Formats: sequence, structure tokens, C-alpha cells
Amino acid sequence: MNFEIINPGTTKELLAAVKKFQKENFRFGAGCTDFLMELKKNPSEGLTVINLSQVKDAQFNGLKKSVKGLRMGAMLTAHKIVMNEEIKNKYPVLHNAAESLASTQIRQVATVGGNMCTASPSGDIACALASLQADCELLSTTGKIRNVNINSFFAGLRKTVLKKNEILYGISIPANIKSTKNIFSNFIKVGTRRSMECSVVSLAYHIQTDSNGIIIKAGAAIGASAPTIRFAATACDFLIGKKFKNITQKEKEEFAEKVLSYASPITDIRATAGYRKEVLFNISKSIFE
Amino acid sequence: MIKKLKIIGTPVPKHDAAIRVSGRAIYGHDIVLPGMLHGAILRTEHPSAIIEFIDVSEAKKLSGVICIITADDADVNNIGYKRDHPILKKGEANCTRDEIAAVAAETKEIARKALNLIKVKYKIRKGIYETSEALKESAPQINKFSSGKFENKNIAEKFHYEHGNIEEEKKKSAHIISRKFTLPRMTHACMASSNITASFNNIDKKLLLYSSTQVPFLYQRDMAHALKMNPSDIRVIQPVIGGGFGSKLDMHPFEPICALLSIKTGRPVQLIYSREEEFIASPIRQPMEIELTAGVDKKGNFTFREINIVKDNGAYTSWGATTPFVIMQAFSSLYKIKACRFNSTAVYTNNVFAGSFRGYGNPQATFALERVIDLLADELGMDKAEIRLLNANEKGEATGQGLHYETCGHKECLETVIKKSNYKQHAAHNRQSGRFLHGTGLASMLHVGGGAKIYRSDGCGTILKIDPYGYCTIITGSNEIGQGSETVLAMIASEELGIELKKIKVINTDTDIKPWDVGVHASRTSFVAGNSLLGAIKILKVKLNKKAAELLKTNHSNFDYSDNKIISLKSNDSIALDKVVREMHFSEPNELAIADYFYEPSSKFQDKNFKGNVSGTYAFASQAVEVEVDTYTGNVRVLNVYVAQDVGRVLNPLLLDGQIEGGVVQGIGYALTEELLMKEGKILNPNFHNYKMLTAADVPDIHFFPVETIDKEGPYGAKGVGEASLIPTAAAIANAVCNALDVEILELPITPEKVLAAIAGKKKLKTEKI
Repeated sequence: MNFEIINPGTTKELLAAVKKFQKENFRFGAGCTDFLMELKKNPSEGLTVINLSQVKDAQFNGLKKSVKGLRMGAMLTAHKIVMNEEIKNKYPVLHNAAESLASTQIRQVATVGGNMCTASPSGDIACALASLQADCELLSTTGKIRNVNINSFFAGLRKTVLKKNEILYGISIPANIKSTKNIFSNFIKVGTRRSMECSVVSLAYHIQTDSNGIIIKAGAAIGASAPTIRFAATACDFLIGKKFKNITQKEKEEFAEKVLSYASPITDIRATAGYRKEVLFNISKSIFE
Repeated sequence: MIKKLKIIGTPVPKHDAAIRVSGRAIYGHDIVLPGMLHGAILRTEHPSAIIEFIDVSEAKKLSGVICIITADDADVNNIGYKRDHPILKKGEANCTRDEIAAVAAETKEIARKALNLIKVKYKIRKGIYETSEALKESAPQINKFSSGKFENKNIAEKFHYEHGNIEEEKKKSAHIISRKFTLPRMTHACMASSNITASFNNIDKKLLLYSSTQVPFLYQRDMAHALKMNPSDIRVIQPVIGGGFGSKLDMHPFEPICALLSIKTGRPVQLIYSREEEFIASPIRQPMEIELTAGVDKKGNFTFREINIVKDNGAYTSWGATTPFVIMQAFSSLYKIKACRFNSTAVYTNNVFAGSFRGYGNPQATFALERVIDLLADELGMDKAEIRLLNANEKGEATGQGLHYETCGHKECLETVIKKSNYKQHAAHNRQSGRFLHGTGLASMLHVGGGAKIYRSDGCGTILKIDPYGYCTIITGSNEIGQGSETVLAMIASEELGIELKKIKVINTDTDIKPWDVGVHASRTSFVAGNSLLGAIKILKVKLNKKAAELLKTNHSNFDYSDNKIISLKSNDSIALDKVVREMHFSEPNELAIADYFYEPSSKFQDKNFKGNVSGTYAFASQAVEVEVDTYTGNVRVLNVYVAQDVGRVLNPLLLDGQIEGGVVQGIGYALTEELLMKEGKILNPNFHNYKMLTAADVPDIHFFPVETIDKEGPYGAKGVGEASLIPTAAAIANAVCNALDVEILELPITPEKVLAAIAGKKKLKTEKI
């Protein structure tokens, strides 16, 4: 289980390291919570790990609020997300997703960037960010930033659109609409245990209503139900203009059907495809109950 | 007159708590010996295959590899309860755990690398993974070392028991219920993975083992048999043990393999399982199918039980094959039952073999038995609490199997949980509609509480000494596997000798030093080792009293021992205990303050029909559980668990709470989440990621109410408590889920998928009915 480790201290050094190793067998190490498991499973020969935890760059590690919304550096930990009052109040879906992640210990080191770049269909933070329609900043070795909407970020099972010379630098979530009066926002994680659990099915939603209770913006994303996390666009569009509190049983079910249309789950050791579909339908309905 | 107790019954923290939480405890994993090598085991790639050849030549060339052994290099005997288990496999593989070769190398990494260089050519066979397949005439013989004494070549063991007149009781029955229950594989998942360090001295030919066995003296004998050695040439030292739960009752192949590597190399060898290996190669709770038919008369009295059990034995036979001893006891003697007929068959398959596991078959039996009681109550239209109270065991009862209940808290346990949980209120007003449904369930259990005479002796020896400084050393045959026996023994000595706890040492880890004990199992340690210690104290006190009387110039022997002093109850004169000890030593009679005692419980070896009073006393418990079922996801959340347990007497409430809470949580895991999944002989979830052991966040409120029946056989009236709290939990949860959903649960664990399927099944049934 031997590997080389590079410890850049600045973003400049980081980009230089990426440039140097881009043609070789390298991977980034952020919180390393997934990496440790991979190492035990398939120790790869001649691996170089670019350790991101020593990089001193507030934009890479910190969190910043602006009129446009909230920007998180890719190295922001799940713990910091959980502790942030702004996130807790304005984006409960993200707070709850981060809080449902693994355990207190793991959350101290696990990062938002790591959760995104692992590109697991059951990534909890990633699913919440998809429902918030976050924007990803991909920094290349040239120093240029390419912006990609989160819904285009995941290219497949454990695959992203990141190129070998790019790194996920930050993620921005748009501010809630000014005229928003109420937010219905939550992360529903279905699993067996209440901690140290990997989602069997998950649903993230962030719904904004105006002073009349009319839905003016809706985001919903599904996890562990398809090869990637998916944004349920038609289900969200369906809600616009409807009064949240007056959604009928029929509409609930129609919404749930639309969410379900994005799912193509598999049967694996944790659950059958049939179970995942049934539960996804049920929890989609439950938003309005 | 019973004197007032000072220490017994108080919440003394665990003797070893500080060293454990501060990381100072020395586990087997921490042992480093000069020149020590590291062992690793190559296991088969296929659960059923012919081994055509094994080529270790490349592995031997690897620098740092000192020794590689295969079956051809080992002159050993088979191990296991039926001696049907070769420690290294030759010619064929029959189970995914099968040990093909073992390496000793300078480092762990080299040992592991060497395993990859061993070439094995397998010819894959079609394995047999269902007991029904194994019992077919056309099936091949799976274990060629099987005794062959049964009608089918793949039967490993059978038990038959009966009492009463079944046919007559059937006639008296107003209702008869018959169901088949399926129980899963559960693994112990000890926090410390399996480990051993073996050191063979090739000068005096003696073998030293640092081993985490639960039964060091039986282990010493088993090891000697395997290695063709003299048992007394093997010394077993137990380092701190990070979890037993029954998993360390059997000796497993890795242990003699490690010893062999040390014998071959003349150097110490250490073998430690990885977590994955722990999941794959540790024993499990027996999976089984239980067919239970039970009757009740029109007044609600239980009439008979008829039981047929088929157990998946796996490829080899362990102590697990003997769990019917305990299973039949639950069926024959929990609640008053007039007739019982019990048959069990353990069948060889190419699956992993089971071992012993806390409860020893009793959680399986209790699940079936208590589920059927609910069904009988439904048939009768009788309250589920009332039917249990009506049939509960009583003090003075002698059961059909010959168990004598000199004390019995069964009824009180039931009454306590029914009352404390507000059972009747809940049962009547549980939420019947909406997404979240609530249910309540009851279950009881019976278990041995004073050891179990399944070996020719169920005793324990103690050597007790007080040194010239007034410190006391208890050398006990029993051992500590985390259950707190050291603490309880120290408390007993402190209570009786008036010596403060910090001056009491417990020595219990070395077979060369300590007197014989059968080991930690059957919830026996506090009872048997406690009584043994009390016996030694009594003998020592005779000597001390004599000297104290002489020094205090009195001719009576009526003394109290307290505050490190011996106090005359007549004159109130006192003398320091250490002074008495010194005077014994340095003046007449010139003897040391030492005593030894061997305690053998009054229990009897059962006859060939399995009848007889097998334990010194019996423990009873009842649990009431409240659950909330999410009908959208199928998740079952346990909200409250009410536990009332006949513990005889509370020796230490803090340790008792630990046993109860730990057991209940293990029981919840058994009920809802834990299952070692297998497909064609391979384990699919050998990790905590997918083997769903519960976490602290899942623990419900556990309300514990000890019931004290003060058994005359137990130390201060205490009974065994270690296993009981786990036994009825799954049954009570299943009953609660059935109560919430109005469905039938016949299988554990009750996974979300099964819950949704049960709800869908009910809907379907309703639709069809309409």
C-alpha cells in the first residue's frame, strides 16, 4: 500500500503539482474518507496523492456570503456546513444533508468537494446541492475558471466532467428569491441506521413560496436512484404556480410520478430496485404531508 | 439474620474501566515479542472445489518469508465439536473460510504479499447451499469426516426430546397454530478482531499462547489434541479481550495454524484478522427453520408444543451444533406446558458454519415461541398480556424437562413490564392510520442462571490470599471478557473481608497459575466464580478468626470484617487485618493467609433423554417494546424497551445496566438490521458498511426494572444475567410490528423491504377478500 504524497501549501503550488502529474496516475486527497476505503480495496501501484488539506487559500477552504448567494470553497468540511447558521436558516436541505452524512468524526474531515468529486449516486451533500442548482467552479492549471451547473457536473457513475488538468475549486448556491416568504426545504435520507449510513434512496428538495403561499421556485434532486444524482426538472416545473398547502392528493401523486421518472435504480446488496422506486414515490408525496 | 451489605448492590465502576478508556489495556494486538513473525492465511477462492494442486514455490522465494505450510506439512488432528474439521484443508474446499495455506513472514505486508504468490488450482464444484438440497439422496457427502451415524450422510447432529402426551393435549386444545419461522445468520462483530500470538520454545518444547479464548482450559485440551501435544505443555495467557459474546467458545483453525507456524519456525508468530476476515471467518449465530405447532385450551392454558428444527450446520460442526440443549429448554419449560415434542437436525452444507452466540439458540426459539403465543391469543380473542400471565412459570415448579424453579420471577417480570410500559393502554389506543403506525409487543424468556452442566464439571476453582500488608489477591479460574466478573469478585471479597477495593487484585489470565474453570459461557461467571470465591473466603476466615481470637484474648469466633479490621462482635475490640496476617505468618502456627476452594454447582448432568436439573438456578425476563413503523419506507423505529429481569439479586447496578442495555441493542440488531448475507457460499457484506450493526444514534430508551428473587444457590441470591437481555428482544419487536401493521412476521431481520412487502401483502389480501 505504498503511494507518493505531494503537499502543496498554496493554490499556485497546487496547480503546478496538477500540471506535473496530470499525465500520471494521480488522485486528489481532500478529507480522504473515501480514499482510505479505496486504498484498502484496490491498492493501486505507483499512485501519487495530491493532498489538498495543506493549501492555504480562503477561497478554497472558506465560505462567503454575497448578494448572489453563498459560495463554498471545495475544501469546506461537512462539519462547517452543519455549524453555519446562514445555511441552517436559508438552505435547510444542505444543512440536513451534511448532518446526515456518516458520523461526527467523519464530518470533521469530509469535504463538500470530496462528496461532489466522488460522484457517488448516494452522495448526500451533492444531492442537496443539486436541488439548490448549485454552480461549480472548475479551476484549470492555466489559472482559468470554467463554470458548470451541477446538473452537468456528473458524467456518470463515479464520473465527473473534470478534466485531468482541472480541480473543483468552489461551489455557489444562488440566493433565495427576494419575494420568498417561506421555504420548504429538507433532505430525506432513507437507510437502515440513523448514522454511519449510506443512502438507500434520498430526496433533496428546496421549495420557495411567496406571501400567498404560491410556489415560485422549486428544486428537487434524487440520490441512490440512478447512475448519478439527478435533478427532477419536470417535477419541479409542475409545482410552479401551485399553492404549497393546497396540493391535492392527485397532484402529490403526479409530482411523485414525475420525480420517479428520473429514477432508474438498480438492485444491490442494500435494496432492490422495486423497493427504491416505491420508497422514492412515497417520500416524494410526503413533502406535502 | 442477613447482615446489611456495604459493597454488594452498589454501583462500583468496572475494575478495568480506567485502563480501557485510557488506552492502556493490552489487547492481543498490542503484544510484541522478540523475533516475532507475522502470520497470514490463504483461504479458498471457491466455497466448493477440488484442490488440484498448491504451489508455494514463488511465495517461498519472497524475501522475508520464513515459513509456508499446507495440509501436507501438518501432522495434526481434526478439530471441532465432532472432530470433523481439518485445520488446513487437503484435496477439497467446502466452505468460503477454508484455510489452504499459511505464511509466517518478517512483516504483515510480506506475509500478505506471499499469499498472492501462492498458486492454487481449483476444479470448481457445484456447491450445496440449501439444507433441502443436502438431504437429497443424490447429494454428495459434504463432510467426509462426519460421524455417519445418522440416516442421511449430510446430517451432522440430531436431538430428540419429549414430555407429556402430545396426542391427548391436542384433543384438549381449542385452537392449534402451526407456523414456520426463518432465522438469519448474525455475526458477533467483536470490536477487537480475532488474534493470537504463539510462541513455541524449541528447547523445552513448550507452547505459550496469548489467546482471547473464553474457555482457556477446554482450549488448552483442544489445542493439545489438534497438535498432538500434552495439554500441560501448553500455557494459555489471555490478554485483554475485546468482545466475546460466545464467538470464542470454539477453538478456530487459525489458532492451531498460528501455533504450527511457531513450532515450525521456532519463533513467536502473531496472527491478527483484518475486519473483512473477521466477518468472513468468525462463527455466526445459527440460521435455522423452526416449525412450531402449539395449542391452547378454551380457557387460554397452553397445552402442547411440537417443534421441528432444521439448522444449517455449514461445512463443519462447532459447539453451535449443541444449541438445541438450550432451544429445547425454552420450548419445554418457558410458560407451563403439559406436553412437548422436539426434534432438531443439523445439516451439512457448503455454507459458513455457525458457532455459539450469546443466547445459544434461545433468541431463535423465543422468537418462534412468543410469536405463536400472540397468534394463539388472537385465535382465542384473549388479551396478549393475560394469556402470558395465565401461563407464566411459578416458584416451586418442576417442569416437564426436570428443571426446578426454586425461585422464579416470571410473573413479576411480566406484571412489571405490562404496568411500566402501560401496555394495555397502548395496545388499545395505538395509532391505526396515517403514515406512522405504532405497535407494542411482549415477550418473555427463560435461561440458565446458575451455569449449565453440559461438560462433566461446571465448577470453578479459587485460590485466595491476603498478604502481610493487608492486600488481597483472588486467583480465579474464571476469566474476564468484558462482562465485569473481575469487578464483581473484588466486590465480594471486599464485602466479606472488609478490605477496600483498591487493595484487591484479581489474577485470572494464566492457565499455568489459575485453578480450573470451565470458562465464560451460559451466563455463569458471577454465579459459579462468585460461589467459589465465597467458599475460599469461608475457609480463610476460619484461620483468621482463630488468630484474631488469640490476639484479642477471646474464645469466641464471632467477628465482623470491616475497614481493614477484624472486630469482635462481643467486646467491640478490634485488630488490624494485616496484623493478624503477619502474626499468623511470623508466630505460631507459622502459616500464610491462603485458602483454596473448588465449587461445583448442584446442577445435574441431564440423562440421555435430556431430562434433569441442568442449572443451579434459572433466570427469567420479560420485555415490552413500543415501535413506530414508517409505512412509506418500511423502517421500524424502536421507541421504548421495558425490561424486567429476574436477576436473583443486583450485585452491581452499574454493570447490570451495561449488560441489559448491551443485550437489548444486540437484540434490536437481530430483530431489524443484522444479517450476514450469503450467495452460493460467499459472504456478500463482510464490512460494517453493509452489515448493519446499530450505532449509538439508534439506541432507544431502555427502561430496566430488576426483579430480585434472592436465590438460595446464588452468591447473595444472584443469578446469571449476561445473555438474558438479548433473548426476548427480537420476539417482542416482531410482536410489536405485527401489532402495528396487523401482519404476520415469520422471519428475521424485519428489514424495510419485508415490512413494505408485508403491508402490500395485506392490501392484496384485503382486495381479494372484497
